[in-house]
Amino acid sequence: MKQRRFKAIAVGLSLAVGLSLSACVTDDSTSAEGDHTIVIVPKDSTNPWFVRMEEGVKAFASDSGLNVYQKGPSETDATMQAQVIRDLIAQGVDAIGVIPVDPGALEPVLKEAMDAGIVVVTHEGATQENTMYDIEAFNNTDYGAFIMDNLAEAMGEEGLYTTMVGHVTNASHNEWADGAVAHAAEAYPNMTLLEAEPRVESQDDGEVAYQTAKELFKKYPDLKGIVGTSSFDAPGVARAIEELGLTGKVFVSGTGLPAANKEILEKGLVQSLTLWDPADAGYALASLAAKILDGEEIVDGLDLGVVGYESMQFSSINPKVLEGAGWVVINKDNVDSFGF
Amino acid sequence: MSVFSTASVRMRALAKDPQVTRLAVILALLLIFFAAVRTPSFVRLSTWQSMAVQFPEFGLMALGVMLTMIIGGIDLSVVAIANMTGIGAAVIMLSIAPPGSDPSQAVPAILAAVAFSLVAGALAGMFNGFLVAKIKIPAILVTLGTFELFTGIAVIITQGKPISGLPTQYSEVFAAKLGGIVPMQLVMFALVVVVIWFLMSRTALGTKLYLLGTNPTAAEFSGLNTVSLTVRTYMLSGIFSAVAGLVMLANYNSAKADYGSTYTLLAVLIVVLGGVNPNGGSGRLAGTVLAVIVLQVLSSLLNTFPDISNFYRPLIYGGVLLLVIVMNQWYKPGNFARFFTRKG
Repeated sequence: MKQRRFKAIAVGLSLAVGLSLSACVTDDSTSAEGDHTIVIVPKDSTNPWFVRMEEGVKAFASDSGLNVYQKGPSETDATMQAQVIRDLIAQGVDAIGVIPVDPGALEPVLKEAMDAGIVVVTHEGATQENTMYDIEAFNNTDYGAFIMDNLAEAMGEEGLYTTMVGHVTNASHNEWADGAVAHAAEAYPNMTLLEAEPRVESQDDGEVAYQTAKELFKKYPDLKGIVGTSSFDAPGVARAIEELGLTGKVFVSGTGLPAANKEILEKGLVQSLTLWDPADAGYALASLAAKILDGEEIVDGLDLGVVGYESMQFSSINPKVLEGAGWVVINKDNVDSFGF
Repeated sequence: MSVFSTASVRMRALAKDPQVTRLAVILALLLIFFAAVRTPSFVRLSTWQSMAVQFPEFGLMALGVMLTMIIGGIDLSVVAIANMTGIGAAVIMLSIAPPGSDPSQAVPAILAAVAFSLVAGALAGMFNGFLVAKIKIPAILVTLGTFELFTGIAVIITQGKPISGLPTQYSEVFAAKLGGIVPMQLVMFALVVVVIWFLMSRTALGTKLYLLGTNPTAAEFSGLNTVSLTVRTYMLSGIFSAVAGLVMLANYNSAKADYGSTYTLLAVLIVVLGGVNPNGGSGRLAGTVLAVIVLQVLSSLLNTFPDISNFYRPLIYGGVLLLVIVMNQWYKPGNFARFFTRKG
């Protein structure tokens, strides 16, 4: 019995040693006590969008000298995201910047954060109630109109179209789609919205976007264009366009990362994509948190120190939302110039 | 024999249980390590409160899985039952007390929702038990099937979207902190633990379950109604899952078909880590509870390291599970010796 217990302790010890070895590498993080700790919580850790965002977060960390890092759940799951935030509250970080998976599910935990005196800011979460400020790269309606301009150009300003969003619960995606539809009604009289299915979901998944688009094109042979929103929409729809041999007949526009979409742009499956740089958004989000921590007044014209976010404007609808002007067009001519 | 002496015999048996001892040692080492490298977090009350809010969600599911595993089965449908009953409860709450309605309607709405959720959980569990005991389908297949079935029902009810806008009174009660310190979620977990403890060691049920798990044929010939026992075990698992669903409803103030999608494997991991024999017949409540706490401490500890991505979490969990299974084999009488004699 004694020997057994000894063995158990030995195994336990080796576990602890293993853990502490891994910890040695990162042990300097506690030394930053006293400085502000700002943590950015993305929807997940592996999505290329948030990998790119982390570059901006790290850039802000080295520019500001503050303890700023990104920490997300291992999967896009509101439950897991809430747990990451809960653990950050427990650690007593100074500010949390969240890109919510599902704003509704995060209300209780973000309220807890704010009650604990933590600065809470969000990005792409215009409906979040328990946040001090939400920053958007741009006015959502204007960006929707901008996506529509790109699609209309490809479609020759006429034909039947529909809209695709990540989730119908995603506030930003829906505002872009609404902006696109409103702009089409105003500026492109020959374009009509598919009334039977005016909004479809891609669930932020390229595979679902592809399946949904295939179904749509089979069900509605007249359908000529899709307004994509999430970064998975246009690439997924492009795959369907290629597979059904509809290149040059139907069109899609939407958000997309340059490197991931190089091929579909060069093949002509997609004429142009629109984008804001997640790295800039990450930088701006951390920068906003730092400004609040420093007690700076948040007013119209706020400069967050990165291109497109130099003159933030409060939204006319929601007094918590700050909007920049951070959009860009990517087409086959400039796809290589972004470096990500 | 007096109650006191049986209790003290039991206490000694518990202390002698090697798996419980090992887990206690691991937990102690983990806590010492935590205290050493993350002292500021370790001494903060909020760290422990945050853990106590998180682990009841999957801890309750693990307790259900534990009971089914003791009788030699398994319940993979716990997450689906939690989500389905949580969604049902949310729908009922919203239909009785829609947003903006009179606050006085919240109380009947919450009572109806909680009652519905527990009954629905019990029925879902009984359905599992019926298929396992009466139709004699292996438990792993039954519960994998009902996992899909219950998730499917949840998806259809919600169209895959989250249901939110619950009366605020709900989370004020179920996410409250008793005396400003003890989270309600922990209290619910503790209540369920006490219920299981009572059933397992103060009633004949515990002995019957161990017998059924050790040798179903012997149990049958001893005159036990094995069908009813199995159905009741799965029913308990269903009820505990429903309680987990209520906890999740309070934690997220909403219900969705795919919340906690990673909890199924976590619950199984906890039960095996807790020393329950996957073939049935043995396992202790104390081991499972310790395993829940070990994994939660490990998880929260990992979140204090900015540079360890949560992407490593499945890797660490998988490693811990395999390590424990190997250790359990190692400690089986004679196993260690056999290891070498075979080689020679």
